[in-house]
Amino acid sequence: MRVYVLKRLIEIVPTVLMITLVVFVMMRSIPGDPVVALLGDAYTEEDAVRVRQEYGLDRPILVQYVIWLGKLVQGDWGSSILNGRPVLHDVIIRLPVTLELIALSMAVALAIAIPAGIIGAIRRNTWADYTATTIAMIGVSIPEFFLGVLLLLVLSIGLGGALPSSGWVYLPGTCPTIVCAAGLLGNAQHVLMPAIALGVGRAALLTRLLRASMLEVIRTEYVTTARAKGLGERPVVLKHALKNALIPTVTVMGLQVGFLIGGAIVVETLFAMPGLGTFGIDAIIARDYQQVQGFALLTAIAFVVINLIVDLTYTFLDPRIRYTG
Amino acid sequence: MSRPTSDREPRRPIVPRPPIRGGSTREADLPAQVTWGPATAAPSESPFMQGVRRLRKSVTALVGLGVVVLLLVVAMFADVLAPHSPTANDQMSTFQRPSWEHPLGTDQLGRDMLSRIIHGTRISLLVGVSSVLLALFVGVPFGMIAGYYGGRIDTMVMRVMDLILAFPIYLLAIILMVIFTPTAGLIGTMKVTGAIAIVRIPIYARLVRGSVLSIKEKEYVEACRALGVRDPSILFRHVLPNCLAPIIVTTTLGIATSIIVEATLSFLGLGTQPPTPSWGWDLKANVAFIQANAWLALFPGLAIFITVLGFNLFGDGLRDALDPRLK
Repeated sequence: MRVYVLKRLIEIVPTVLMITLVVFVMMRSIPGDPVVALLGDAYTEEDAVRVRQEYGLDRPILVQYVIWLGKLVQGDWGSSILNGRPVLHDVIIRLPVTLELIALSMAVALAIAIPAGIIGAIRRNTWADYTATTIAMIGVSIPEFFLGVLLLLVLSIGLGGALPSSGWVYLPGTCPTIVCAAGLLGNAQHVLMPAIALGVGRAALLTRLLRASMLEVIRTEYVTTARAKGLGERPVVLKHALKNALIPTVTVMGLQVGFLIGGAIVVETLFAMPGLGTFGIDAIIARDYQQVQGFALLTAIAFVVINLIVDLTYTFLDPRIRYTG
Repeated sequence: MSRPTSDREPRRPIVPRPPIRGGSTREADLPAQVTWGPATAAPSESPFMQGVRRLRKSVTALVGLGVVVLLLVVAMFADVLAPHSPTANDQMSTFQRPSWEHPLGTDQLGRDMLSRIIHGTRISLLVGVSSVLLALFVGVPFGMIAGYYGGRIDTMVMRVMDLILAFPIYLLAIILMVIFTPTAGLIGTMKVTGAIAIVRIPIYARLVRGSVLSIKEKEYVEACRALGVRDPSILFRHVLPNCLAPIIVTTTLGIATSIIVEATLSFLGLGTQPPTPSWGWDLKANVAFIQANAWLALFPGLAIFITVLGFNLFGDGLRDALDPRLK
């Protein structure tokens, strides 16, 4: 097991390198560069050449990439071309916001999907099942940003501003600057709507999946055996059936991470949250090479690590699955 | 490790049972399988017709199909149906509430919302359908070649596909759109189509490769080879028709996803640019005025939702009808 994890961790390196390299090349193939934006009205050809030299932008792309990698190994993520701030610092102060959003939206998704999926399967073809299936269908079809707008209309504007429509209050202890709003209640108020907006779509997908795999598992012989030996319905469903039915669900949850990162961009934009998503989209649109690299690096690592965690979760859900080095 | 499965039981046909094989495979026509088929099905009925028959029984699929057809009609006759020009500004009548003159009100430039939504159908459907078709036309041949020839070709093709899949899809789509630089009009729409298609190619390549891997081992493919049928003919006339069912289902559901991705890109300001009407863009532009003019953000969002729902319902129904095994 330990060997397997170590092997997988080593395998992360080439994947992350590939992703960052592709992003690196792609960003630099965009016509124009950030120097133009940096110099603005004061743009002259000589200045541009000088600045490009300063940032090493006049070198071949692959050389630039190797230089970036070399610095990265030493813990230097580079600095923003446009505002000069170190990328690592910016990324670290924004990471907790997005992590909180993603974790809570996953919690929302599971809190809806597990009961709904179980009810749909064990009360198959009843009104409870139809309700769950219909709501799941609606949830799959509604884009995060539209659900966010609906929530805004109902919970923020409809209730006379009960919940704040934008901005952020940090969790106590994660405050990035000396002066900033922090507090548990304020944080909860700010994160509630984005988490629901992002979570419901995932919940819908997981519900459908869980229902389908529960239906399959419930028909298997070991569930019949469990019932035959006199076990109550509750332990049969929750301990025997659910655990096995969760395996495909967990796989899809892992695949959802890619969507969650995208969804986070959209939801953070809608609710004006100071998270990684808004950081990433702003950096890409401004073509701030260094910031984009930092964003891509972190996203790639998160993506691969979460997939690893998903694989490891299998061993808990189904002890027959064992990883050997 | 492996538990004894029901495969060990002697296989014998039990009383008439519902069809377990759908229109997806020609196996249903093989003598060995006939005993398993439905007692009621006429032997001459093709798998395709069986699928159509099952589809017609599904209420949700028909509702979905109805929505899709309606949207197609709206998109086709947008010029006739729209009461106003979708792009004509009217500074005298901005932010009007819904009325007879403007059933869905007007936006901050005084443009008629209903007309914008009607015309927005075009962008949404055009991008949704054509990006999936484009992904299909590139992904399917690659998947077939990779699966059929295997070996180094397979490794090479699938490595590229895996690389695309390794990206969170929105990250890739966003960067591609920045590279293409979003513009208005047909060119702008084509750029969005291209970006979404690139992101979705690997899905079809993987799907087809998987099907081809199992189909190429079938006896009828072997028979073709023995008869000296050439590879392209085997691939397109014998292999492809047998992996069509999952492709069709994934395509329909894929259109729904593509429409969401298009709306999302537009919402982020990276879709087709104004003045071309686009639902995602309208939603984003109108969120700013949501406090006093809630309906403005509501209608474009509803349009996206209904369209996606329509394709999802239809796709779900198709899946149940064409390939019960995918359920």
